[in-house]
Amino acid sequence: MLDTGISPQRSIGRNPRMDLYLDLAQLISGFLLVGFLWTHMVFVATIIIGVNTFNSLAQFLDDYYLSYVGIPFIGLVALIHVIVVCRRIPNRYQDYWRHARTIMHFDTWTWIFQVVTALGIAFLAGIHVFLVIMGWPIEADTSAARMHAFWWFYLVLLILGEYHAGFGIYRQFVKWGWIKRKTIGFALKSITVIIVALGLAALWVFVQLGGALR
Amino acid sequence: MKNRTLTFSIFRYNPATPEIKPHMQSYQLDETTGMTVFVALNRIREEQDPSLMFDFVCRAAICGSCAMLINGKPRLACKTLTRDYGSKITLMPLPVFKLIGDLSVDTGTWFRHLSIKTRAWIHTNKEFDPKALEERMDNATALEIYEPERCIECGCCIAGCATANIREDFLGAAGLNRVARFMVDPRDHRTEQEYFEVVGSDEGVFGCYGLMACDDNCPTQLPLQWQLAFVRRKMAVAGLKR
Amino acid sequence: MSSYHTHITDVLIIGAGLAGERAAIEASSHGLNTIILSLVPPRRSHSTAAQGGMQASLGNSAMGKGDSSDIHFADTVKGSDWGCEQDVARLFCETVPIAVRQMAYWGVPWSRVVAGTKTLPDGRVIEDTKDKEGLITGRNFGGTAKWRTCYTADGTGHTMQYTIDSIVVKLGITVHDRMEAISLIHDGEKCLGVVARCLRTGKLNVYIAKATVIATGGYGRLYGASTNAVICEGTGMALAIDTGQVPLGNMEAVQFHPTGMVPVWILITEGARGDGGYLLDKNHHRFMPDYEPAKKDLASRDVVSRRMIQHMRKGLGVDSPYGPYLWLDIRHLGAKHINTNLREIANICRNFAGVDPIKELIPVRPTQHYSMGGVRTNIDGAAYGLKGLFAVGEASCWDLHGFNRLGGNSLAETVVMGMVVGKRIAEYALGATLEYSYALVEEKAKQQQERIDSLIACRHGREDVFKIRQEMEETLMDYVGIFRTGPALQTAVDRLQVLHERSKHIGLRTSGVGANPEITAALRLPGMIRLALTISYGALQRTESRGSHAREDFPKRDDANWLKRTLAYWPDGAVLPELKYEPVTITELPPGDRGYGESSASSKN
Repeated sequence: MLDTGISPQRSIGRNPRMDLYLDLAQLISGFLLVGFLWTHMVFVATIIIGVNTFNSLAQFLDDYYLSYVGIPFIGLVALIHVIVVCRRIPNRYQDYWRHARTIMHFDTWTWIFQVVTALGIAFLAGIHVFLVIMGWPIEADTSAARMHAFWWFYLVLLILGEYHAGFGIYRQFVKWGWIKRKTIGFALKSITVIIVALGLAALWVFVQLGGALR
Repeated sequence: MKNRTLTFSIFRYNPATPEIKPHMQSYQLDETTGMTVFVALNRIREEQDPSLMFDFVCRAAICGSCAMLINGKPRLACKTLTRDYGSKITLMPLPVFKLIGDLSVDTGTWFRHLSIKTRAWIHTNKEFDPKALEERMDNATALEIYEPERCIECGCCIAGCATANIREDFLGAAGLNRVARFMVDPRDHRTEQEYFEVVGSDEGVFGCYGLMACDDNCPTQLPLQWQLAFVRRKMAVAGLKR
Repeated sequence: MSSYHTHITDVLIIGAGLAGERAAIEASSHGLNTIILSLVPPRRSHSTAAQGGMQASLGNSAMGKGDSSDIHFADTVKGSDWGCEQDVARLFCETVPIAVRQMAYWGVPWSRVVAGTKTLPDGRVIEDTKDKEGLITGRNFGGTAKWRTCYTADGTGHTMQYTIDSIVVKLGITVHDRMEAISLIHDGEKCLGVVARCLRTGKLNVYIAKATVIATGGYGRLYGASTNAVICEGTGMALAIDTGQVPLGNMEAVQFHPTGMVPVWILITEGARGDGGYLLDKNHHRFMPDYEPAKKDLASRDVVSRRMIQHMRKGLGVDSPYGPYLWLDIRHLGAKHINTNLREIANICRNFAGVDPIKELIPVRPTQHYSMGGVRTNIDGAAYGLKGLFAVGEASCWDLHGFNRLGGNSLAETVVMGMVVGKRIAEYALGATLEYSYALVEEKAKQQQERIDSLIACRHGREDVFKIRQEMEETLMDYVGIFRTGPALQTAVDRLQVLHERSKHIGLRTSGVGANPEITAALRLPGMIRLALTISYGALQRTESRGSHAREDFPKRDDANWLKRTLAYWPDGAVLPELKYEPVTITELPPGDRGYGESSASSKN
């Protein structure tokens, strides 16, 4: 028998593949959320083309029940994501903080913002979803009114969301190694900038509309 | 070259005299041409403070003894030139490892434990036959093994790693790189499932956050991101295949 | 008294480099309880720094075809300038192929033969054949008739050490790192173990063993400028000679390399000069052609080294806080050539001296490189003078290298000797019983504790250990270098005797508590000075030139009077070593011409 270091005690009880499953759950839920977020931003950005395009897209999603399937599904995915990523938060956050302050390493800092943005998103996105559902169905004028009133709220959510998505997905690519670190970093930064730009443009249009439609 | 006076701010603590609390102590030194932190520390010890503890062995970036935090970053002191720094240089011992005194830490015990945990030797059922020719191996395979084998176990990747700093049992880049070395070696007969038992958990490859301070701080420029990703993919497949 | 932590074992090995660990594996495989002591974690040993390779006559590569242990034997004996033991060399050459294959079995990723034709830098075309593909290949090294130096890319020593250590871990052999043996325990007949000082806590430990093995490497650091790791201070040799009964062999045989980089003394390989680089003095004058019009900068290593020293003695070296040096100029080779063919050299210059060799000159000077001498043992690795004491590797004088070691033979010696002598150690330990008087052990430990206490309390004076050490280093560099003369050697002996006396009056400037580096240095220094004296005094007495021992006043090899080995003893209380001589074993190859042209070439990469 080769002595391979397998401990018989560990074969009973906890599923030895649990850490793998959790890691995969984080990866898949993260990818789905990023996919959703980016699609969402593109959809929202249709307002730049015009009020009618935006309304027909919302109508389309509504008519084919895509919203009714999509929103709960994304909600569930987000919940799973929250649960699995919570295991990453150190028991003693001070240790992490001290470490980050000592070695002054860029990616180590970005992870702290990852946690901060996660908390921010959980809070703000919750309010956002609540507001959207309360004002159902989605229409340009109601959205515009909201944006007009709470533009600062959406500005913050936009930046937090895209930051979190961009670095989250970057880190997954780094960990699984499909593409070189520099290449993927550049690609994701570019995508994030484009999406944020789209978001800002849409927000600006909404804010303008908000004033006009009232 | 204009001669500068350098100020070294150095962490001091001797476990044999616990009544003197950890503190930073400053030393001044005239910079000389081509001065490295190795040269500087030895001069400080010989000329100013013979009690200053630090480790050097090969002083040529081969043995991995002299890793320390230089202005916060894990670096090999022997290949750190003072001229690349400002006139104030802060030296701290590596975190994670047990402190022996001042800048000296016990990387040896940590790495030996790592070798035991990862069973870092060739596992084979074959016996050595002194009369036989060596088994053939592709030179490309030999080079593929040599790539991760180049690790000098200096501990820079461990000191820089957030996971290793917050959880004691994490194998770190050095450990996972070591496992990768045996995975690509055809002489090792371990199966993927057997490797999974060793590194297929948060203690191993799934504990990595992907912050890549290891990759950024490796003094031998090992492709650690690539090695970690290689192990992660292999272990994911092994885990899903069960 | 039980204030010392006592460990009892079958085999005690001092030093965890390649030789020590290989011997430990052998002992442990025989079922013996084995403990290794080491100044540093095993994988930090100086063995890892050997980049070149290990010689084995496998005959797999195109330029190694037809190689055999006979040819390797002839190369080794000629290299040694007939100073080696020929029965040892024979045993060694026969065993190396097995050792190298065993290393492959254990995991060393040796570079392998790739079939196909290649063009050498000199234009020759060679072909590696298909039938050898995948076998361990060999490369060219100085002083060998065939290409037989097995290697792993640029990290042979590193991969060998890591592999051997992986087996040590696998076998569960106990390693006490940061534990320094500071005195051998013996009863005048038998060695019983050591008193050791823990370099973590400063506390004394006692190790009692049936067999004690010295595997502590060379004494390079006695010289101010050495390519050796800073731990290579000859500690094991000092332990042996301090018994008064165990002799050191051929201590005057010291190998130098011409181009160690100032001020960190890292080796710049001969490739730089081989490709057209040359040496300059402080006036940027190319001086080598003045001395050696034929071979210029490419004369053999010891010749170049000697000329460099000679030139610096004329005041033409560049002055620096690190002593005078000369320049190595490769700028004219161009950025492209430097960044590709000489990349390793370029990296060393940039990393360790901040010199860009494309635009700047490289500061170099001859640098101590290898200790041929050491604890004199018989062919079984058993030290002369005490039963149960063995020595392996660079610390020993087995004597494979005679007066000049062939490049690639040191790495090979470590594993071969570890294997061969390991077996003898095991046989000895299996047949021995452990009998000792604890009173004696306690007495020895107490003596060491008193030494420590005296140093801390400055009972014998307040001499500064680092100042004395520096003077010793300078004395050896200046007077017992590459180039030796009677008066210079006499000066060295005189000065070292004074330093030896002063070293008895060292007092600490610090508290000496815990892992204190000052007391570590203070405990080592007197032994180091005694080694320096055996080197200098041995060199002074040897009135001939042989291998690396080059006397200006006696430039010829003198087989009639000096075909013999120096044995240096240090009787208790002596002020100089007592020198005896023994004949060299010549079994096959009678003394002749080395065929190197000029004088003896030392070669090690």
